[in-house]
Amino acid sequence: MGATISRLADKPNLWPWLLLTPLALYLAVFFAVPLFDVAVMSFTEPSLSFANYERVLTGKLYQQVFMNTFMTAGLVTLSCLLVGYPLAYLMNHVTRRTAMLILLLVTMSFWTSFLVRTYAWMVLLGNNGPVVAFLAAIGVDPAPQLLFTRFSSTLAMVHILAPYMIMNIYTVMQKIDPVLIRSAESLGARGWSLFRHVYLPLTAPGIANGCVLVFVICIGFYVTPVLLGSPREQMVAGLIGTQIEEFLAFGMGSAMAIILLVITLAILAVYHRRFGLDKLWG
Amino acid sequence: MNRLMRILGVLVVIFIAAPLVIVVPMSFSDARSLQFPPPGYWLGYYYAFFNDWGWLRPTWNSIIIAAATMVLTMILVVPATFALVRYRFYGKSVADLMMMMPLAVPHIVMAVGYYSFLGDLRLVHTHFGVILAHTCLAVPIAFLVLSANLKGFDRTLERAAQSLGASPVRTFMHVTLPILRPGIMISALFAFIQSFDETVVAIFISGRNAETLPRKMFDSIRQEADPVIAVISTLLFAVVILALVAPAGWKSIRKRLRSKTPPAAILGSQ
Amino acid sequence: MTAFNKRPFGLLAPNRRTFLKASGAALTTTLAAPYIARAQENVLYINTWGGPWEEAARANLFDPFTAETGVEIRTVSPVSFAKLAQQVRTGTYEFDITTLGGSELVRANEAGIIETWNEAPYEGALFQNGVASHAFATVIGHRTDKFPDGGPKNWAEFWDVERFPGPRSLQRYPARILPIALLADGVPEDELYPLDIDRAFASLDRIKDNIIVWWTAGAQSAQILRDGEVDLIGIWHSRFFEAQDTGAPLEMTWNEGEIDRAYWVVAKDTPNAEIARELIKFATSPEPLAGFVMQANYGPLNPAANEYIPEEDAERMPTSPENYAKCFEQDIANLGADPSEISQRFEEWLAT
Repeated sequence: MGATISRLADKPNLWPWLLLTPLALYLAVFFAVPLFDVAVMSFTEPSLSFANYERVLTGKLYQQVFMNTFMTAGLVTLSCLLVGYPLAYLMNHVTRRTAMLILLLVTMSFWTSFLVRTYAWMVLLGNNGPVVAFLAAIGVDPAPQLLFTRFSSTLAMVHILAPYMIMNIYTVMQKIDPVLIRSAESLGARGWSLFRHVYLPLTAPGIANGCVLVFVICIGFYVTPVLLGSPREQMVAGLIGTQIEEFLAFGMGSAMAIILLVITLAILAVYHRRFGLDKLWG
Repeated sequence: MNRLMRILGVLVVIFIAAPLVIVVPMSFSDARSLQFPPPGYWLGYYYAFFNDWGWLRPTWNSIIIAAATMVLTMILVVPATFALVRYRFYGKSVADLMMMMPLAVPHIVMAVGYYSFLGDLRLVHTHFGVILAHTCLAVPIAFLVLSANLKGFDRTLERAAQSLGASPVRTFMHVTLPILRPGIMISALFAFIQSFDETVVAIFISGRNAETLPRKMFDSIRQEADPVIAVISTLLFAVVILALVAPAGWKSIRKRLRSKTPPAAILGSQ
Repeated sequence: MTAFNKRPFGLLAPNRRTFLKASGAALTTTLAAPYIARAQENVLYINTWGGPWEEAARANLFDPFTAETGVEIRTVSPVSFAKLAQQVRTGTYEFDITTLGGSELVRANEAGIIETWNEAPYEGALFQNGVASHAFATVIGHRTDKFPDGGPKNWAEFWDVERFPGPRSLQRYPARILPIALLADGVPEDELYPLDIDRAFASLDRIKDNIIVWWTAGAQSAQILRDGEVDLIGIWHSRFFEAQDTGAPLEMTWNEGEIDRAYWVVAKDTPNAEIARELIKFATSPEPLAGFVMQANYGPLNPAANEYIPEEDAERMPTSPENYAKCFEQDIANLGADPSEISQRFEEWLAT
């Protein structure tokens, strides 16, 4: 066997290329070409110029929508962290059985179509729903408008993306050696300082992973903001959809799509240099 | 600290569970609208779903498209994964990155691209067009699952087979493939689900003949919040529960016969 | 149906043979799909408004047409001008026929995305290559549980958020909303056209914070009113009656109702153009049209249909003499600006 390996190393081996070629060709034709199409359209529709980019980068509407997208994505990422961290912590500090049940719940949520979850939030937050009824019961009447606001779309996105965060933090927390915690405690670390000096640094990779993943997915989110949000607080993906579907403005839609793509890839490239992209989803 | 974390944790459990739980009673509601708690219960909307071709056709389309996407994805991904996990060659890191790209590009960007690209090929609104697009989106996920499995593969078994005189092909068919089968199955399942759930690209390129279930649901929620959506949600939810619970139950049965742990993969990756 | 029940289990229980067989079969069907689709030429796709509109159209127009000609009719909703335009661009047709409101018809005809007509299906039917079918009105509806002492009686009162507080909704459709905004700002009905666009947007600014939903589909407008997501709404009269008939506490006024006309059009270059024309001729002929408008409460635009409509059935129609006197008609040809530009400006206004 050792001989085989050295022989393979000497000669350029054709096998990997042969095995890779079908997929590489497929992705080149059905992935790269459509993507290239978007880039081309952003410069050529309706005529050859930079006009689309000029309009997207200088127009008040577009600036505002991009700003709004980043604000929302930031808010959603932060909320996911605030939601995910305590849960991951809880999962590591209850019996194995309870932890498995919570894990099952999170997995169930993850596997449930996000259209289903978006619909569920419509039911929960509607004027005939339980949240408004609860608010009325404790004396908040009339209840504030919940559905079709930034609040409802943000909440639903947090719910949809939280499993990514939870899974990432839970995995790193699980790997923390209990001996480490006990020895920190024996050295007098308690409560906040234990958390701050032991837990936080040890879980940092999971947090970073979760945050990048949630943020990147969030800035490209289409369905939930369109269904639950307010037209005054659109996100980029929704506006791209409107440009294409309502105005047939393929150039404008493509220019926005390319800008969104560049931003997404820039974030991922930074991540890739530090950690390696395959770790992000794996 | 500990106490505060626990209370927060319990609240988060409620936050995560509430939307999942609520669709089930909603599906039995006899109200026309989004009313909770429901004023009364019946099975009328289940009847409506199973009798309306407007819902059944998209459901069927989605199943066909997801199945074909799965097959095509596996045909492309299995050999490529072997190449990337087992061999070292010039340009491998670029190839690794290429596999991940469809996951990195926001779906709305791809939707715009496919809309124009498949439009030129006259494949918009066809099953074939949606399958071609969905396969690209399913490649990275199938690859991630399969490569994780292949990396954990113990090659001494293959070597043992070969040292006993088995040809490489025989070794592959009789040793490698059977051991990898659970990994391939799960990888295929992920590809299926990726296609079955995919919404954004489907909204733009499926229609008329190839309308998928997510697209139909999206249109229906946007237009009238049709109560039938609660029925479909409950059915999909039931499938998810079955898929998650079934392997665990199966596992406990098989555990007595053999000791093996495939379901970890379902919970672990992604 | 059985497939839906069985397939997921087959996938999860790893029985390789059934699994492969099933996916193989699926792939073959799929690859053959375009050819199967081509074989069944006897299908006409119609873009409809869904809901009661479609029910009425099916019962009175589509099913009788199928019975007469054997052509199956499938529907796609909601009505979308953009889709119509897309089809011509991409050459793949989602539908062969749609109905358009006046301003869209003008846009469509200018853009050359609809088939032309050489002879009118009935006298006076044609306007910009659309066949006039029925009239509908955008009226003010409100919830009586929120306003027990009566709701707004005109658009100026609809704009009065002090007197009538509460969430509101209007259609995301500038050609209909801008005239309303001008009426609310005190412009008399006979001086609306050509529209003073800047003044209309200034008027809309005053109410922007109170419009929580800009509805885009008829069914949606009925649903949010019925479910109390909004208290006040500018809504098509037919959709209002649909919501009211479910028993929700609702009231409307015909006063300052904005009448629009719906026109049948055939998508340019569709392979089914000939059957499509046949259907439109059938749908605007007196008896079917009368049945359709009676069921869905529209006003017929083929005058011959009136013979089949008893007077009491006209009560909910915007074209009955009593209601018509309270309403006003759009002057589409005299809009005062390019509809596409108005749309872009409206969307930008909406998002900022």
